[in-house]
Amino acid sequence: MSTPVPISLVVNGEAHDLVVPPRKLLSDVLREDLNLTGTHVGCEHGVCGACTILIDGRPARACLTYAVQLEGHELTTIEAVAEGDTLSPLQQALHEEHGLQCGFCTAGIVMTFEAYLRENPAPSEAEVRDVLSGNLCRCTGYQNIVTAVLKAAEAMRGGRGA
Amino acid sequence: MTTETPFTHIGKPLPRKEDRRFLTGKGRYLDDVVLPGALQVSFVRAPHAHARIAAIDTEAARALPGVLGVFTGRDLAQWTAPLRLAPPIEGLHPVEMTTLPIDKVRFHGDPVAVVVARDRYVAEDAAELVEVSYEPLPCVADTAAALAPGAPLVDDTLPDNLVSHQSFRAGDPVARRAEAARVVEARFDLHRHTHVPMETRGCLADWDAGRSHLTMHIGTQAPHPMRSQLAARMGLTETQVTVISPDIGGGFGQKIALYREELTVAALSRHFGRPVRWREDRLENLTSASHARETHCVTRAAVRADGRILGLELDLTEDFGAYCFYPANYMARVIAMILTGPYRISDYAFDVKVVLTNKCGNGPMRAPMAITSWVMEGTIDAVARELGLDPVEVRRINAVRPADLPFTMPTGEVLEDVTPLETLEAAVAAIDVPAFRARQAQARAEGRLLGLGLCTVVESTTYGSEFYKAAGIPGSGHEAAWVRIEPSGAVNASVGVMGSGQGYETPLAQAVAEGLGVTPDMVNVHMGHTDIAPYGMGSRGARGATAGGGTLYLCAQKAAEKVLAIAAGMLNLNDAQGLRLQDGQVERRLEDAWQATGVSLADVARRAYLDPTALPEGIAPGLDVSLTYDPPAMTYSNSTHACEVEIDPATGRIAIARYVVAEDCGTVLNPLVVKGQQQGAVGMGLSGALFEEVIYDESGQNLTATLADYLVATACELPNIEILPMHTPNRKTPAGIKGMAEGGIMGSIGVIAGAVNDALAPLGVTAEQMPLSPQRMRALMRGAGNFTYGTSFSDPGTTAHDTTTHGTPGNSDGRTGRA
Ligand code: FES
Ligand code: FES
Repeated sequence: MSTPVPISLVVNGEAHDLVVPPRKLLSDVLREDLNLTGTHVGCEHGVCGACTILIDGRPARACLTYAVQLEGHELTTIEAVAEGDTLSPLQQALHEEHGLQCGFCTAGIVMTFEAYLRENPAPSEAEVRDVLSGNLCRCTGYQNIVTAVLKAAEAMRGGRGA
Repeated sequence: MTTETPFTHIGKPLPRKEDRRFLTGKGRYLDDVVLPGALQVSFVRAPHAHARIAAIDTEAARALPGVLGVFTGRDLAQWTAPLRLAPPIEGLHPVEMTTLPIDKVRFHGDPVAVVVARDRYVAEDAAELVEVSYEPLPCVADTAAALAPGAPLVDDTLPDNLVSHQSFRAGDPVARRAEAARVVEARFDLHRHTHVPMETRGCLADWDAGRSHLTMHIGTQAPHPMRSQLAARMGLTETQVTVISPDIGGGFGQKIALYREELTVAALSRHFGRPVRWREDRLENLTSASHARETHCVTRAAVRADGRILGLELDLTEDFGAYCFYPANYMARVIAMILTGPYRISDYAFDVKVVLTNKCGNGPMRAPMAITSWVMEGTIDAVARELGLDPVEVRRINAVRPADLPFTMPTGEVLEDVTPLETLEAAVAAIDVPAFRARQAQARAEGRLLGLGLCTVVESTTYGSEFYKAAGIPGSGHEAAWVRIEPSGAVNASVGVMGSGQGYETPLAQAVAEGLGVTPDMVNVHMGHTDIAPYGMGSRGARGATAGGGTLYLCAQKAAEKVLAIAAGMLNLNDAQGLRLQDGQVERRLEDAWQATGVSLADVARRAYLDPTALPEGIAPGLDVSLTYDPPAMTYSNSTHACEVEIDPATGRIAIARYVVAEDCGTVLNPLVVKGQQQGAVGMGLSGALFEEVIYDESGQNLTATLADYLVATACELPNIEILPMHTPNRKTPAGIKGMAEGGIMGSIGVIAGAVNDALAPLGVTAEQMPLSPQRMRALMRGAGNFTYGTSFSDPGTTAHDTTTHGTPGNSDGRTGRA
């Protein structure tokens, strides 16, 4: 369990060869071994959603996953969402609508909805709230996050000419 | 209500500066600050609520590869001084605690030993191997047990568990009872909460043996008081300690005190001569960080037949837990001081007891006085219910009216420039109460439970030093700032408050920009670093805007004076009369219009720093201005919350159909940020009122140690909030700022209780205890004898005026209320 083993991880399109203990959580490997500290850890028991990343494009809890399980999968973290200096439509909407305060939950929420809005480009408010219920935010009361997601969805539909 | 402001930058809804780094994963929270070679700690915690520590065997833990040491309370006692809280307050016992317990543990989760290891995984393995032998002691798990004669002592040095007891009387409330048409008694039980910042506690201590200097990286709302505490407890001078607060993932009052774990980590860093870090896990955060509330109140209102309150008495008991990180009277006292809030009550008495129990220690949580508005408004609703009056009318007849201002509360607190009656009327109008009552009557006839709540809040936001002194609470309320215009004309500024996620950077830059005459993007406000920021009292209450923003605004004005004096010299004028700085350019008033002079702030700065011999006589080189400011004794903002609910009789679920807040928080620095605080506070208040609860069993075991047990509301449970903003400036504070951010908690707790009890009225039951969970709702409905599914409910007559035709309060049968 604690004897390190070699693994190779593909994160944000880049391959990394690492040596990590099999019991080391993916959240810790991302943060400590790869310096990708944008993924936050709020509970380490799968409830808060702060650690949400994408595994093969689908949201997953990095705190409930061992890094050694992920060889051969594509991981995406918050650091890969903006293109250079340009925020994604979702990030931009969260900024404009004041959909974040302390920002600790934000990465998990961005990752959740980057994936969800691809799956459902025209969600209702109730659908957004339902999906958002997997992420706890202690600061905002969620209202502005919901507004921002709906606004981003609209912007993304417009952007695609849909 | 004023909407026009005389300001250029104050009051603009600018999106926040800090968003970009948070949105892109580039924020720097504590765990993102890395120091090479840092050791990690893990705490060994008590499994008992109350027990003697007989022996601690650390051998197996020490033998684990990667472990550098295991330390106990005895070790820490050699390296650190205990915390002694002995403010000279009548009725408050002095208390003292060591850095880690030595002889006994006082609650489930009390830290008894600490493991230092090369990484967190190994530290946690080793913590499991530390063998502590305990001799369990009988515990007190609630205030009744704690106050019983012969109860086991939580703190062996005290005569009993009543750590603080204070009473007060203004006028003669007992005599008022005799004169009253009715004495209405009401009870309020606000359960135990905890703060749950999404980022738990943690710290990174870095002892520099060469310089004998401690640098403490820690997310703290109050960096300078933290530095004072660290220095004092470690036997260092304040020159030997630097506190640096990185971005904070929420605080809500949990990140103010210097906790025992943090002091331990600092001491270990000095012991090892290496950086040492601690990251609290969520289980520790929920069980051992800090709890809040658990306040029980009883009121007795002596009332006339028309609902006018002649006298009010309050009995308050707070379950404070096992340790005092704050003077035990600190939170409860404020509740009692401001209880009467928006109402004209002159005969008032309180009796406030704070009791130690074998639970995690209490601290201030966003709205330390959270229960206040529920108690006052719930009392008003009880009066309306018992007398069969319209609850809106009972509020009106008792409200502080504009002509009453400034109004002195019976406790001596002075309300100025507040508008409680106006916010009430605004909320009542927005809801359209008659239309709601018609819908409600219709729904009742169909067997559905609809309710409307109203809650008027007077929020104490900013505590000046005078308040602390008068209230017998230790503390200072002043704040400090500096503004520096650098040689290039760039503006740096700093202040002693430290945000924990609210978004101080933008509104405070707006305050500086306004005071100085530049644009907010020219200003960078530096906070959280004790070697950079001036000594201020940090962020507590809702003092960020009034104390933080106000001090910066005044300081920037002072800087502008110097800038203009130098500019006058550059323009060959005798003085700065008729000059102003606007967007970084000096302008001159000529024939009723402001005209450009061609002199910029950068020109002035260059002269101030690089050509000082050319400065006007008597003006010193540089542009470096500092200022301290002590706000008025107390600044109040006010609001009225209104909320419509429907309770599902089958499941007990409370659905919030509508939620309105009319709020007057004076001049606001940034309405976008203020709205975020209003929504966030209501969300947190509702979450606490409906779902959250720290539960201890009778043996003092904490049963809510995960986020699957301690239930924080998700997006599916919280409503959208309609805000009706009002802006009556406070004439005594800089720029008329009042502050806000906690009133939303007070209002939401009070309003949801009011709405639920209005909905339950036909069943003749009243919810007196929170959380208003589905289980509690179902239990109440089961307890209502006349309740079966699908029956229609008669209107309990809340708007009738004849007090004599109504039966026992709480009995809806046979009532003849107006339909
Ligand atoms: S940290 Fe992974 S869900 Fe909370
Ligand atoms: S913004 Fe602080 S937890 Fe969501």
